[in-house]
Amino acid sequence: MIPDRVLEVLRGPAFLQIGTRDGALRPTHTAAVGAVVHDDRQTVTVFVPTPRAERVLRDLTANGRIALGFSLASHEAYQLKGRYVSSRPLDDADRARQEAYRATLMASALEAGYPEAIARPLTLGFAYTPGVAITFRAEEVFLQTPGPGAGTLLS
Amino acid sequence: MGILPDEIKPAMQGVIPSHVVTCARDGTPNASAISQVYYVDPDHVALSHQFFNKTKRNIEENPRAAVWVINPETFETWDLELEFVRSETKGPVFDVMEMQIEAIASMVGMKGIFKLRAADIFRVTAVTKTVGERLPLAEIPGLR
Amino acid sequence: MAADPRDPSGLREQIVENQQTIDRLNRDLARKSNEVRVIQQISSEITSTLDLDEVLEIVLRALDGILGFAHSMILLKDLADDVLRVAATRGYAEPGAGARVRMGEGVIGVVGERRRMMRIGNIGASVRYLRSVRARMEAAGEVGPGEASASLPGLPDAQSQLALPLTVKDRLVGVLAVESRTPNAFDELDEVLLRIVGNQAATAIDNARTYQMVERLGRLKRFFSPQLAELIIRGGADDPLKTHRREVAVVFLDLRGFTAFAETSEPEELMGVLREYHAEMGKLILAHEGTLERFTGDGMMIFFNDPLPVPDAAERAVRMAVAMRERAAELAARWHRSGYDLDLGIGVAKGFATIGAIGFEGRWDYGAIGTVTNLAARLCSEAKPGQILISPRLLPELEQILEVEEVGLLAVKGLARPVRALNIVRLRNPA
Repeated sequence: MIPDRVLEVLRGPAFLQIGTRDGALRPTHTAAVGAVVHDDRQTVTVFVPTPRAERVLRDLTANGRIALGFSLASHEAYQLKGRYVSSRPLDDADRARQEAYRATLMASALEAGYPEAIARPLTLGFAYTPGVAITFRAEEVFLQTPGPGAGTLLS
Repeated sequence: MGILPDEIKPAMQGVIPSHVVTCARDGTPNASAISQVYYVDPDHVALSHQFFNKTKRNIEENPRAAVWVINPETFETWDLELEFVRSETKGPVFDVMEMQIEAIASMVGMKGIFKLRAADIFRVTAVTKTVGERLPLAEIPGLR
Repeated sequence: MAADPRDPSGLREQIVENQQTIDRLNRDLARKSNEVRVIQQISSEITSTLDLDEVLEIVLRALDGILGFAHSMILLKDLADDVLRVAATRGYAEPGAGARVRMGEGVIGVVGERRRMMRIGNIGASVRYLRSVRARMEAAGEVGPGEASASLPGLPDAQSQLALPLTVKDRLVGVLAVESRTPNAFDELDEVLLRIVGNQAATAIDNARTYQMVERLGRLKRFFSPQLAELIIRGGADDPLKTHRREVAVVFLDLRGFTAFAETSEPEELMGVLREYHAEMGKLILAHEGTLERFTGDGMMIFFNDPLPVPDAAERAVRMAVAMRERAAELAARWHRSGYDLDLGIGVAKGFATIGAIGFEGRWDYGAIGTVTNLAARLCSEAKPGQILISPRLLPELEQILEVEEVGLLAVKGLARPVRALNIVRLRNPA
């Protein structure tokens, strides 16, 4: 259900942004570090450092609504909207994925033209352990790349 | 004395993109990257409005926004809670933003094509330096 | 804030934080006192000179030396066109003086156009972002491909720029800009400091420019009509005092019998006759838009097609010559009645001459040099009373309007062969 190109971008290395909201529709932003797409191409797991996960889970357990924005350093961007499924602590395999994710994220930032003095601390500075794996089911996919067509529903 | 500390100013120069989360009236959140959050005064920031998008529509329905900015010198990140105040199409804040956008647009052959439509002014209701999101600079490999 | 187990009260952290605050205040204070030094140093240096280049140099040196702005430039608004021109730079491999920036182009051009300061610290990120938007618009067919990437002066990889309009009483004099390869290199304090320097610089630059202009205007007015001098200053015409080569029609005239008259007459009589003669000939020069190159007693040299180009230089020259002959005949009749034996002779030639300022500092003249001037002078000296001798080179284009007679061959300095001289009998269709 998630189109091929969107899947590629999501697997990364992309900058990942989680959007949730509380019962009063007050929104919250949380950066995620790494994502895994399950075989059904609809279920997605993202990783959030434990100190930052608490508020996300508070919103998600209350209402389940989640948005995941992700963009390449080149500004190509997409957004998934869906519903919360489950969460669990990180395991070793997740941590290995996050290590790899951070390294490729830096390479892509450099490639997109970020100076090294910014690319390195920006990407390698994301804390990732201890962390929580948050799984949700995507219901809609949107194009978010700035310019004409931004906001188009892709599937 | 406003709510925004001076040390947040470098995070509002657009060196590294920021992010904004809004929420539609039906409760659907929206997460989007923005190129710059503009510092207006110690209690206000502005977002540039160039294209009509989901963020803009959500703000019209529900005036709250969460914004994440990063300081490109210390790499500390901040969470801001915002409340929409008004949309300006003239005045000093609009002028400053518009001049910058026009200067850059003229450099990439987009003068007159890529223009600021409005400066959306928000009141900052809460600001916090994030805890547990960033590693101390000393722990980042390869930094001097 | 995470508590340190060895320091539960966070005292150590508090001390570190206090020290950081003190350091920051000290830095601010150091910069504040710099501010005062800048005002003092720049204002005393800058007011000591009216030399524009020196003013620019002082400003940029102060920005670098005192304030640490390593890359800076001053652009001046062109007096004629709506463009900014790089007048001085500091901290660049190439000086780049003379480069043009159109109003509204880049940070400097927009600052010039809006006359408002701009501080930007994310040029690289913004350009990357807009390029991506542009690519999307191109793909959607909303804009044409390729970008009109104007080449702007300065660092090709600048991340930060701070640019300030230099204005005097709301009039734009130029733009002062500093830049850096570091993102966010400038802050609000830099704005304050640059504004102080900018205000002083604007006035000093304007004074120096005004002085330069008045000096030049004075020089030009000695040779050209005030209107032409103004036009030249405002850039509407090339500076004729700059050496150039152009085809001109040259008219020489002088009075036959003047030397004998000068020796035998009273000074008042002599000056009275000269004044009358100069005044009458002067009117005709102005009427035909000729350029008076020089007076030598009773002699005059006038040329056409410089500094203002005219399509019919030769025709103007001969029409003026004929009008002068007629007017001089009336004057001569009166002079004869007073017992003065004076008559006008004229020579006209056409050819290339080198024209420009001739002389030395303090005594510059606007002059034309070339065989054509020798030829016109030689024709004039050979002319009998009432004759206008022309060179055959004028004939092809003036055959329709001239009735001429052969006079003979003349040897001319600078020419290997003798030249035919022709006298203008009359104009076929007087203007």
